Amino acid sequence: METFTRVIAIVVELAVLTAVFYSLFAGMTCEAFDCGLNQKYHKFIKLVMMIMGCLLLVFLVAHLIAFYPRLPINV
Amino acid sequence: MYIMKIFLPVIIGSLVLCAGVVALFVIAFRWQHYRLWRLGKEEDCFHQTAERLKTLLAVVFANFRIRKEFYPGTMHWLIFWGTLLLFLGKIARLFSYPLGLTNPPQHVFLYASFVSEIGGVLVLIGGCLAVIRRYVIRPSRLETKPDNTLVFIWGAAIFITGYLIKGFRMAAVGVTVPPDWFSWAPVSYPVSRFILVLPTEPLNELLIWHRVLIHAIPALLLFAYIAASRSPLQHLFLSPLNIFFRSLKPKGALDPIHNFEDAETFGVKEISEFTWKQLLDLEACTNCGRCQDVCPAHLSEKPLSPRRMTQNLKQHLWREGPKLLSLPPEQRQPEPLMGTSVGEDELWACTTCMACEEACPVYIEQIRRNIDLRRYQVLVETKFAPEVQLTLKNMENNSNPWGIGAHLRADWAKDLGIKTLAEDPHVEYLFYIGCSGSFDDRGKKVSVAFAKILKAAGVSFGILGTEEGCCGDSAMRIGNEYLYQTMAQANIEVMKNYNVKKIIATCPHGYNAIKKDYPHFGGEFEVYHHTEIIADLIAKGKITLKKPVAGLFTYHDSCFLGRYNAIYDQPRRILEAVPGLKLTEMERNLAKSFCCGAGGARMWMDEHIGVRINNMRTDQAIATGAKTIAVGCPLCLTMFSDGIKDRKKEETMAALDIAEIVWKAMGLEEEKPAADVCAAPPA
Repeated sequence: METFTRVIAIVVELAVLTAVFYSLFAGMTCEAFDCGLNQKYHKFIKLVMMIMGCLLLVFLVAHLIAFYPRLPINV
Repeated sequence: MYIMKIFLPVIIGSLVLCAGVVALFVIAFRWQHYRLWRLGKEEDCFHQTAERLKTLLAVVFANFRIRKEFYPGTMHWLIFWGTLLLFLGKIARLFSYPLGLTNPPQHVFLYASFVSEIGGVLVLIGGCLAVIRRYVIRPSRLETKPDNTLVFIWGAAIFITGYLIKGFRMAAVGVTVPPDWFSWAPVSYPVSRFILVLPTEPLNELLIWHRVLIHAIPALLLFAYIAASRSPLQHLFLSPLNIFFRSLKPKGALDPIHNFEDAETFGVKEISEFTWKQLLDLEACTNCGRCQDVCPAHLSEKPLSPRRMTQNLKQHLWREGPKLLSLPPEQRQPEPLMGTSVGEDELWACTTCMACEEACPVYIEQIRRNIDLRRYQVLVETKFAPEVQLTLKNMENNSNPWGIGAHLRADWAKDLGIKTLAEDPHVEYLFYIGCSGSFDDRGKKVSVAFAKILKAAGVSFGILGTEEGCCGDSAMRIGNEYLYQTMAQANIEVMKNYNVKKIIATCPHGYNAIKKDYPHFGGEFEVYHHTEIIADLIAKGKITLKKPVAGLFTYHDSCFLGRYNAIYDQPRRILEAVPGLKLTEMERNLAKSFCCGAGGARMWMDEHIGVRINNMRTDQAIATGAKTIAVGCPLCLTMFSDGIKDRKKEETMAALDIAEIVWKAMGLEEEKPAADVCAAPPA
């Protein structure tokens, strides 16, 4: 039961962190084009952001599994 | 105490970073917006500051124009007030730590906690409504770009992480959390019950740091993003600015061209020929699409959408503005707007009905911009529809759009014994007939009916006869400002020669032009629409409506009478005073009335794209079940008469002017037979 709760908690944390980092990356992309970056780089930027996003996701999963609290729910 | 150790650096860091965001905002504002607006021409929008401030506060804090539509209005209200409460609570809480208000928690801290929690809930509810609307309901007027999705995700992430920090803090404190905290933190407290904590205080401190950074850094970066990007969230400062600098001129009044002799060009060809306020208008557009939803041109499948036009011009400004600024003025070769960002059919589809401006929550002026673009097309490029060319020629030669001999202008009155001002200048009112009332067979019947009402009521009035000229409204709306000014000045001269003080017009176009545009050329008169006069005569008992005019009627609010001049009550009061008459309303009425399709000089243009607007409006009238459409405008009368014919309803339906209905209800026709006043409405 404790393990299951921990998994759920990690998934929730992961979803929140993914939203945060998606926002930061997408914000950077939009900002770059708003500042005048040529649209021809759109695909390249998107690809770079996707690779960085995947790496970050792997890191976050590993980080949360390793360090997330193992104590029961604090009720 | 470890919480204090954590939050002191957070407060210091926030202050430093906030200063950085403010600096970024100032630089970005100047670079992205202010210098672009400076490309435009001068316009004085700095007078009447108190009035401007009043409107600004009303729109921003009461959301009073935004709430016209229930769903988006509620959504906006929840997000706005939620954010405001959240910020107030957040700032109070943040500074509660160094002031020692947190341990034990003081009232200020507790209330701040509650306010920010409720604020967050309001924002989340409003945000959910917005997400449902944009991604589930998907109204056609909403254009979803990646930016829109981004701000939803970003905002949600910040709010959720905010609740998680607070919940984690409470969870870390554990049993020492006061039991009444559920009342002060109705969201975070329950969240805290489900949060896992680490076994030691230092580890929990580390985790709080993680969470604070994950919340605070994206929040500050969101502010930086809003400041420096072209995000739709820039409406947070661009919309209030536009509301503050809105036009305080009479509704729909157009700025005349003053220097015909000296000017090298007229109207607007390229982006820098707009005024700075018109450029601010473009940037302030939130892309909400309310204008599109009410635009008769868009709804009748013409290529015009006010929203899209504004957005295209905004893109043009962002694309071309920096290029123009990078070159000295003499080397600039600006891209023309027509053919790149605005299409010809798009421009000429506008009926200048002002439904878009009425619907716009941030007071964007569409009509003036369209007329400026038309002025260039007509006065410089001489590019307009061939039928318009004939109309303008007729106006030039005979001072009426039909080209009927000007000497026949007063023929409608020859059997009525009405004196001209040349015969008797000492009358109270000048009855300004206008072209429809003088030359159009249908319009002439309205003039006759109204003149008879005035005579029966003993009103002292006269007409100009053949000295009267076209009011020039159609020429002005087509963009031929030169012709309009020539006609306006001729009329003003004649009126002034007779020392005219009060004018009555049966045509709202003439009424509006004389009331709002003639003053630019020294023509200051008291102007009344005939429905105002009739309503007054009824109220004072000078005319009695005794003969029943049975049947179900619906009243069409003419754009130039309603939206332009806020005359909504008088026509309805008159109709309600008619015995036996039952009045029903069309779905689109009052300020939301649907144009008949004649405005903006569309009366004189072929309607070869999409559905005919007059037929759409006639269908709306038919849907009420009414047998008679009452109007207060001769152009609307013509459009409805055509619509009724097109819908093959001549046998069962009629369009009548208010004056015709009143004259019939006065029951004087049998006693004193005269001209054929009006067609009786079918039973």
